[in-house]
Amino acid sequence: MLESMDLKNVINRENVLVDIEGTTKEEVLKALCNQLFNTGYINDVDDFYADVLAREEEGLTGLGKGIAIPHGKSESVINTTIAIGKTKQPIEWVSLDDKPVEVILLFAVKNSDATTTHIKLLQKVAIMLADDEFLVALQKAENEDELFGMITQRD
Amino acid sequence: MKIVGVAACTSGIAHTYIAKEKLLKAAKDLGHEIHIETQGTIGTEDELAEKDIEEADVVILAVDIAITGTERFDGKKVVKVPTSIVVKAPKQLIQKIESELNK
Repeated sequence: MLESMDLKNVINRENVLVDIEGTTKEEVLKALCNQLFNTGYINDVDDFYADVLAREEEGLTGLGKGIAIPHGKSESVINTTIAIGKTKQPIEWVSLDDKPVEVILLFAVKNSDATTTHIKLLQKVAIMLADDEFLVALQKAENEDELFGMITQRD
Repeated sequence: MKIVGVAACTSGIAHTYIAKEKLLKAAKDLGHEIHIETQGTIGTEDELAEKDIEEADVVILAVDIAITGTERFDGKKVVKVPTSIVVKAPKQLIQKIESELNK
């Protein structure tokens, strides 16, 4: 239980969005980057966005089952966090199962995190994502609260 | 089988840990003993014990980047794959290794 409370301190409910408009990966990533900027987690949208796209070039981030985990580690990240988005329509994404993506967990990591606490919490999310049933459940989430709850309240 | 391994991805933020978890689960389900070290953005965690390496039948390196400490596996059977293989089909990978070892 203590751990799930901690995750709530790292993931902000305001950075969970459903019904993201857009038809391309770039549009959706930009929307999530903008949200991270609006909530004060990053201080430069263009810089962080460029870093995320650079990571996309290095290897596929689509886990299969409609889930993707793009990530950026950059100077423009103020606080390490994850933005979570669900798109209105499936988005073409390079994935392990070659299928489009509907749920995106964008990892934003500070270049130099003084403590490893936050990254350890992100690891917990990564471990959850190793469970295929959890991936399927995430895709079925209907609103922000449900999505946020599934990730932060999982035992 | 006794398995040891290392997981490490490009940025060391997510795939490393997903790969580790998938390997642990798959090995457990298939009845194998396994220890996986991660080399991520916050350094090495769950560092492999010398004894576990010594006793291991196989070393699985699920790595997308150069890792440190590969000399520890000198003389061992080493299987090197990208993290994506492990994330996609962990059981199949272990089963394949097992059948190769039993040949």
